[in-house]
Amino acid sequence: MTTASEVLSSLQSAFPGAIKDPRVESDARLWATVDPKRIYDVCKYLTDKLNFDHYSGSAGVDWIANNEMEVVEIMASHGAHPVVAMLKVRTPRDNPSIKSLTGLYWNADWYEREIWEMFGINFENHSGLYPLLLSDELMGVWPWRKDFKGYPDLTTGQRAVALPTANGYTEFRIPPTPAEIEAGTVPKERPKYPSFREREEAEIKSDSEMIMHLGPQHAMVPGPFLLDILVEGERVRKGFLDVGYIHKGIEKIMENRTWLQGITYTDRMCYVASLSNNECYCGAVEKILGLEVPERAQYIRVIVEELSRIQSHLIGTGEFLTLIAGVGYAPWQYMIIDREHVISLIESVTGARLTHSFVRFGGVRNDLPDDFAEKCKITLPYIKSRINEFIELFAQDPIYDLRMKDVGVLPAETAKEVGIAGPALRASGVSYDMRVEDPILVYPDLDFKVITGTKGDCADRIDVRLREILESIYIIEQCLDRIPSGPIKPEAKVPKKVPAGEAYYRVEDPRGEMGMYVISDGGDKPYRVKVRGPFYATLQTLPPLLEGVYVADVVAIAGSMDGCPSEADR
Amino acid sequence: MDGIIESITQFANQEPAIFALIIGIIGAAIIAGVVNVGAMLLIWGERKVLGDFAARFGPNRVGGRWGILQLGADAIKLFTKEDIIPAEADKGVYVWAPIVASMATMLVAAAIPFGALHINGQDYPLVVANMDISAFYVEAALSIMSIAVFMAGYSSNNKYSMLGAFRGMARMIAYEVPMGVCVISVAIMAHSLNLVEIAQNQTLWYAFAQPLGFVIFVIALITDLGRIPFDQSEGEEEIISGYNTEYSGIRWGLLYFQEYNNALLGSILLTLLFLGGWQGPIIPIPLLDIISPLIWMLMKMIIVLWFFIWVRSSLVRLRIDQVTDLGWKWMLPLSIVNLGWAVLVGSYFA
Amino acid sequence: MGISDVIPVPVAIDEELEKWTIFGQPVADVWFTTTEKIHQIIEMGPIKNIFNWGRKNSVYFLMQPMGCCGVEMFVFGAAPYDSDRFGCIPRNTPRQTDVMIMSGYITRKYLPVFKNLWEQMPEPKWCIAIGECAISGGPFYDSYNIIQNTADYFPIDVFIPGCPPRPEQFLEGLMQLQEKIKQRKDKRGYY
Repeated sequence: MTTASEVLSSLQSAFPGAIKDPRVESDARLWATVDPKRIYDVCKYLTDKLNFDHYSGSAGVDWIANNEMEVVEIMASHGAHPVVAMLKVRTPRDNPSIKSLTGLYWNADWYEREIWEMFGINFENHSGLYPLLLSDELMGVWPWRKDFKGYPDLTTGQRAVALPTANGYTEFRIPPTPAEIEAGTVPKERPKYPSFREREEAEIKSDSEMIMHLGPQHAMVPGPFLLDILVEGERVRKGFLDVGYIHKGIEKIMENRTWLQGITYTDRMCYVASLSNNECYCGAVEKILGLEVPERAQYIRVIVEELSRIQSHLIGTGEFLTLIAGVGYAPWQYMIIDREHVISLIESVTGARLTHSFVRFGGVRNDLPDDFAEKCKITLPYIKSRINEFIELFAQDPIYDLRMKDVGVLPAETAKEVGIAGPALRASGVSYDMRVEDPILVYPDLDFKVITGTKGDCADRIDVRLREILESIYIIEQCLDRIPSGPIKPEAKVPKKVPAGEAYYRVEDPRGEMGMYVISDGGDKPYRVKVRGPFYATLQTLPPLLEGVYVADVVAIAGSMDGCPSEADR
Repeated sequence: MDGIIESITQFANQEPAIFALIIGIIGAAIIAGVVNVGAMLLIWGERKVLGDFAARFGPNRVGGRWGILQLGADAIKLFTKEDIIPAEADKGVYVWAPIVASMATMLVAAAIPFGALHINGQDYPLVVANMDISAFYVEAALSIMSIAVFMAGYSSNNKYSMLGAFRGMARMIAYEVPMGVCVISVAIMAHSLNLVEIAQNQTLWYAFAQPLGFVIFVIALITDLGRIPFDQSEGEEEIISGYNTEYSGIRWGLLYFQEYNNALLGSILLTLLFLGGWQGPIIPIPLLDIISPLIWMLMKMIIVLWFFIWVRSSLVRLRIDQVTDLGWKWMLPLSIVNLGWAVLVGSYFA
Repeated sequence: MGISDVIPVPVAIDEELEKWTIFGQPVADVWFTTTEKIHQIIEMGPIKNIFNWGRKNSVYFLMQPMGCCGVEMFVFGAAPYDSDRFGCIPRNTPRQTDVMIMSGYITRKYLPVFKNLWEQMPEPKWCIAIGECAISGGPFYDSYNIIQNTADYFPIDVFIPGCPPRPEQFLEGLMQLQEKIKQRKDKRGYY
């Protein structure tokens, strides 16, 4: 078993002088600042020699007081060892530029593009630095920098101006207002790059090909994102993704809210998994605060989070079924009906259907209602029987088999390489679950299996999701048996100001590995919150999966990923 | 009464051409009414039955607790909607597509027997144009709808519509042949291509006499009607709404309506060819015995239509390549096998 | 606008018709005045009640989930809450919808798309703003990317507060819209 200190000593011996301010937080967390010139080599060494084969994302931080920019590379492993290495690279603020890791990791592309558009940090050797989340009007503003001048004026009406295009269509644009130009939020110089439309049209090679837009409004998308496919007849040749249609800037907003207010924003990041998002944020803050969560509160958290996983998987599978069968298909309606039972269970605890804000620093907001265990004893066996029925149904349906088997196959090696998360990763046969890898709360005491598939096709992804529901029910039943009585909040009052420090906390979201990187500068607001969302990682892997499939398979593959674009866009 | 009949007979003898014309116009008006009202009831019924399958109610606010006036509200709304023709559409084809679709269903309705009246121990079939080859004619006219679908999809200047139109065409070509072969098989057994005679000659239902042909015909019919699992031309979740993506208001209403018209006529065709048509025991109650063939016909139709809806709510949509594969590689050879069976059995019984 | 926009005549004839006069006025003018008059008569008369009865009982909504409310919209259309009872079913193409449910935050990048979708819907059409984000920006009011004043861009008939509102509130909003259409107090019912 590799530990963080072993990784550190190995690194220090391989790169003498390149590793500064190392900090071993625990066996599973390593913090270090790496020499910007050596970051590529360090990462290569980690991957080749120390099994760090999971590039988990990167975060940008603007240290305006030091006149420096920082990029934090989050490195982990797909099950070989539990160490997460947080490697910081600093670069001067005037002309920030660091080496790109896209040559090493395929999935570094999106993370680096996001940092570029938000902070203006240039990545050397990155082949396509195009905006990801922001619209063209906001490029060059660098909104996540600390000196971003307020928010543009969006209160004047009639902003969307109809502009006739050359070929007779009408497009709507939002030009900047004079007030915005005066306030300096509209940059005088914008980066030059080909637009999304130009980039995808450059791929058209012959007259028999055309680009089909699936989105931003389309029956396929669970929230607005644009999936363009280059089709030749019914065959897809290439897929292009454009996200950011519901980019709300949650990470920036959270920097302007108190620590407690931040919880409500984590709710709205992924609204069908809001309890795990709560958990992730609160867990990170608890780590900085050094708070111990009372045991009863831990059990309550596990119960509601697993319930939330059940309802998320149910609606995800239900949406997927409408995609391959149309809205007349009855089983998806049954899933929504079953989900309502689970929702009412969660509601009896948290008081809300979707946005709970239930988890608090060091505990939970309120205790379980008195009759909760009895209600669970009625609902959970019912859900279990229904899920078994669904599994049986899909196993028997020959047309389902024809549509789903061997469609969108993702072998284990590729799945690891592209950094896909959650059930989609496990369906490929990779046993990677945060509840086991990075155990939190009372998960180590509980008995449960990590569900894996074999092939990694669409059928497997749905099957894994359904069987995970059974596993979640088993976990809840154990929790209800074992839950002790006691306090649900820490005895001491949680301070308004959080001491300076930083933490990276990971939970298993219904969609996969969710990580939050929280930095405090000792104030009453976070200095920076970085969300490493699972669907962000999954969404990125969509275009390569679509190459060579039929148009009808596109919706099957995209639907089987159980999308939540709101969390990808944040 | 007798006087009126006498004068009509006299007129018919004097001016046979004009009489035939008048009868044709009256018949056309009646069938247009019957088919359209039937299709409206079918849409309403589908919404209610689909609701039932999905453990919900379906429309129940307009026109009493059964929501029977829901279709009236939908029709009024669609009639008074803005009429949009996309700027770059092929206007003529775009406008004509729903009209061609309506014409197709009316052409079918003209030759299809809707049932029969049982008067004085004899069945009088209710059919406007009693043709010798009506089985073939109906089967051919049913597929004119595919042309309307192609027109709609092609003229809309929309990528989804275009794809839907191509899919509809590929599907139609793949399934029209096995469907035709099945009709021939039935005709061989019945020694007639006339639907009325086919229905009357069925002492043993052809669904039992040639079960293979029955299965193939049902599948091909569902495909022809463009219903799930063969609704690739509409393919709601992949290509928005398929060929009718750009259609709005009354034009879309017409296209949508014709699909249900076709489903209704398809169910009649299936009943006539394979389920014994209007045959059934005569109800020994005065007045009811006259319409008892009609009642049997209606019951069989309702079962067939209910089956279509049942299939819709419980099956997944196939991919277009799988549909054409199924059509060419399985349906066509099997339908020819069935043809051989029909020839053998038919000649043996003859 | 020429007559060929209304009745299908070749453009050459259209140009010819532009020169014609009737009662000393161009034919086209008289034509349009008359249709307007017909509309006025319809607007005043009891036939509008029949139109409105049809319209209010058959509002199809655009399936377009945007945020948290999008999930509730999905549930609102499905079995537990069954919007089909009110004749309200989801359609995927804006051409066949009557009501646009604004179910979430509208960002700078999405507003042009959203406006396009709205323009593609045939008249008469209505807009329901659901949730705090769609009404005023909600918790994201000070974001650099969120449009706050959606009512300036779309003629919103019903605002349903909540974050997100429950599906029952969706039904309530739908019934409010139906009542508004019935009483001719909706913003876009003049067509």
